[in-house]
Amino acid sequence: MAATMFERYGGFATVHRVVLAFYDKLLDSDIAGPYFDDVDMPALVDHQTKFISQVMGGPAHYSNEVLEQVHRSLGISQEAFDEMVRLLEQTLCEFDMTPQDVRTVMSEMRDRRSYIVTQ
Amino acid sequence: MSFSLDAFNKLLLESVGVGLIIARYPELAVVFRNQRVVEWFPAFDGPEGGLGERLDGLDAAALMAGLAGGESYRTRIETKVKRRLRSLSVVATRTRFGEEDWVVVELSDETKVLELESMIASYAKMVEQQNRSLKKEKERAEKLLLNIMPESVLQELKSFGVTTPKRYDEASILMLDFVGFTRMSVEHDPATIITELNDIFTAFDRIAEQVGCERIKTIGDAYVAVAGLPEPASDHAQSIARLALMCLRYLKRRNETHRLAWNCRIGLAPGPVIGSVVGIQKYVYDIFGPGINLAARLEALAGPMEILISEEMYARLRADFHIEDLGEAEVRGFGPKTIYRLLGADDLTLDIETPTALV
Repeated sequence: MAATMFERYGGFATVHRVVLAFYDKLLDSDIAGPYFDDVDMPALVDHQTKFISQVMGGPAHYSNEVLEQVHRSLGISQEAFDEMVRLLEQTLCEFDMTPQDVRTVMSEMRDRRSYIVTQ
Repeated sequence: MSFSLDAFNKLLLESVGVGLIIARYPELAVVFRNQRVVEWFPAFDGPEGGLGERLDGLDAAALMAGLAGGESYRTRIETKVKRRLRSLSVVATRTRFGEEDWVVVELSDETKVLELESMIASYAKMVEQQNRSLKKEKERAEKLLLNIMPESVLQELKSFGVTTPKRYDEASILMLDFVGFTRMSVEHDPATIITELNDIFTAFDRIAEQVGCERIKTIGDAYVAVAGLPEPASDHAQSIARLALMCLRYLKRRNETHRLAWNCRIGLAPGPVIGSVVGIQKYVYDIFGPGINLAARLEALAGPMEILISEEMYARLRADFHIEDLGEAEVRGFGPKTIYRLLGADDLTLDIETPTALV
């Protein structure tokens, strides 16, 4: 089995920095940030850790059904989703991921748009 | 005394990584705060208000009580800066400078540490969960492997990656197949036949486990079991005889209540065997030895619902089992041999009427 991105980029030792960087960007964003206004910090960090872990093939896997279920009530807009994808791309590039890996992640993200966006 | 800072000191205080506030004691009137404090508490932007009012979340009474003792006062406060909760540790110290008393408050941001802690906890939980499911998966794979090889052989395979063929000097073999199976599978619905065969073999497996035998394999409608390996057992002949009798009894009872009757024939033989895993990608645990051939030949000679043994087996069983002498017969590959029919044991009767036709 080929090593996942998670393993290739150094496992949790590296990925934790990606998580925190992405978390910072997301919270600073006036488009995507407000969705997290009422979420407490541990829950949010937990969410981001699992998210990045899933995106990079780490030890988390959520089916599309689960993704749809947990995002259903959040009223996420196309604009917020695009913003999130943009910030993720920016974060991954900052961590020197290869363009091909970034493309892979981006296309995975876009494939799941319909499960996340609800308005 | 008025409070003033020269440009250099000011630059210094602005460039440190912590938030700094200096206030008069005991009025708590703020005379200096660096930019970081304003970032966290916008109330410090203007000139108005004392430390207690501006530092949201600070218990002014507790602060005063702490400082009155001359000790430094420590606490932790939280503030939300643009949807991000910041956790700040606060250290307030009373200090005398010139003619007056001052309070120096140091605020350090511990948010990152808490975020990191929280992330590690989240990640650890994820990994634990993954480990649990991996373990479950492993157990399932192991269970599958146990179906095709004895446990001691699996342990050897796991520890060393290979297994060495092992010779067992004392073992007994059972060969069983069904009379007219080919005809049955043509005349009846194949799915029904296979389901029933599966039920019967499963029952045999259970009996084998109960009497300390090991099923080696099934080939079509043939069932091959062994006693005395992988753990040597001195009573292997007795075990295999009990297995044969109990399988027969099971079938007999089953036939009484089922539309389709299954009649087996069984051959038993003792002999040295070699047990080994065969294959690398596709594992099969198999046994080899002359006893296997002998058991197969005896089985071929047996009639429906009959267990045949030869003189070698007879010598080991005659003390404990009911056996009938059938006289000499030609066993292919082994020459003429005295053949016996195994009928039962004191505690294990088949309650089948003795077939008289063959005697």
